[in-house]
Amino acid sequence: MELQTLAMKDATIVDDGTTERTSYPYVTGTSVIGMKYKEGVIMAADTGGSYGSTLRYKSVERIKPIGKHSLLGASGEISDFQEILRYLDELILYDNMWDDGNSLGPKEVHNYLTRVMYNRRNKFDPLWNSLVLGGVKNGQKYLGMVSMNGTHFEDNHVATGFGNHLARPILRAEWHEDLSFEEAVKLMEKCLLVLLYRDRSAINKFQVAKITEEGVTISQPYALKTYWGFSAFQNPSKGAVGSW
Amino acid sequence: MFRNQYDTDVTTWSPAGRLFQVEYAMEAVKQGAAAVGLRSTSHVVLATVNKAASDLSSHQRKVFKIDDHIGVAIAGLTADGRVLSRYLRNECINHAFVYESPLPVSRLVVRLADKAQVCTQRSWKRPFGVGLLVAGLDETGAHLYYNCPSGSYFEYQAFAIGSRSQAAKTFLERRFESFNTYSRDELIKDAIFAIKETLQGDKLTSSICTVAIVGQDEAFHMIDQKVIEEIINSMEIKEDAPADQAPLQEEDKGSEEAPMDI
Repeated sequence: MELQTLAMKDATIVDDGTTERTSYPYVTGTSVIGMKYKEGVIMAADTGGSYGSTLRYKSVERIKPIGKHSLLGASGEISDFQEILRYLDELILYDNMWDDGNSLGPKEVHNYLTRVMYNRRNKFDPLWNSLVLGGVKNGQKYLGMVSMNGTHFEDNHVATGFGNHLARPILRAEWHEDLSFEEAVKLMEKCLLVLLYRDRSAINKFQVAKITEEGVTISQPYALKTYWGFSAFQNPSKGAVGSW
Repeated sequence: MFRNQYDTDVTTWSPAGRLFQVEYAMEAVKQGAAAVGLRSTSHVVLATVNKAASDLSSHQRKVFKIDDHIGVAIAGLTADGRVLSRYLRNECINHAFVYESPLPVSRLVVRLADKAQVCTQRSWKRPFGVGLLVAGLDETGAHLYYNCPSGSYFEYQAFAIGSRSQAAKTFLERRFESFNTYSRDELIKDAIFAIKETLQGDKLTSSICTVAIVGQDEAFHMIDQKVIEEIINSMEIKEDAPADQAPLQEEDKGSEEAPMDI
């Protein structure tokens, strides 16, 4: 009960009788992709924070571990993501303070986030994020998504933003049960490459995170090899029709 | 205990460091009809004696389902017990709504204990006059707790509360070490046997006895009167000897002998 008050008292209510609402995001992250594999869940995102059309911040960590059993990746407003991390930090803290052998697993965290997102949406003051929550607890793999209006679901592979349009079709065709870690990374990089080519807010600096029963590993940022030597790029204005 | 000058308020200490009002509340629990609880590694059983106010009235309800994985048996002021059951149900359902998973038993029990403690430290309140045996299952296993009006709680392998519970406790003390290996049916049988001990001479029938069970693949529920009837009958075939000669292992899977006319 103590946690619900934290989430509620941060809602923007000004004392002169007016209320405010979030209208648009400012600094945003682009797609996050997640998929289940044999030992757990793998998640990837680039480390970019865009300020409108400017690729302003190049080292934003958009995937974070939550407690012992979960990973959270976010796209959308970065400051709202940081706020959510604050709520979850407190949630996990209280959970650990019980010190009684019970712990919040990915399913519980996912549901808690759903409640927070939905309640904010009902106040017309959403947290402008699409969240990917993955984890493993007691051998059970879990992967779910929550959007800024509280829509939530679980699946074997999820993606946010542009990832939904560019990465999911690849995953639908090529994902299968019990991928090895190497296969999963390869599949992930295939999706990330497409996003890098086609999503204007993507940058070539990615982090891949995995979570298994043993724990969380988040890779150091690295770049993918891209190819721009297509003949059509050599002389781009060759066939163009000019106006002057 | 006798009346003294320190027992008017719950917020008054006695020179010996006692809160008499809280102790009087525990007395109310001791006067209530008996309730017992037993736990194995996979199941927890609760059994109660249902006293009827008179021959004309129905029996008191003393066992409440709190959630699919938790149930309680009460002894003492049933009205207080009902109110606390409503509180427990509320806590469980709120947790399930936010986290989509069952509230761990130990956390529920602590909240209940904290609620009871509040009433021992406010001059305008009185302690709850009911003791609760909380039986439940969560990811850390099977649990049986006893919550008393003072706000303290303890975990037990087996326990009995209410009037003449000492007889049941003596019976359970002799056998509790093997409870963890008991099957579901053996646990139920011993629970009914423990209840029988508290009756001390009065006839045990299925109408005055309520038995409930919760297990890993079994939501908390009351056991059907007919099933209890069968178990009682098979028990009475076995022996009518006094309790301290009861054998350590009971195997009555079916009644091979013909029933005696009792």
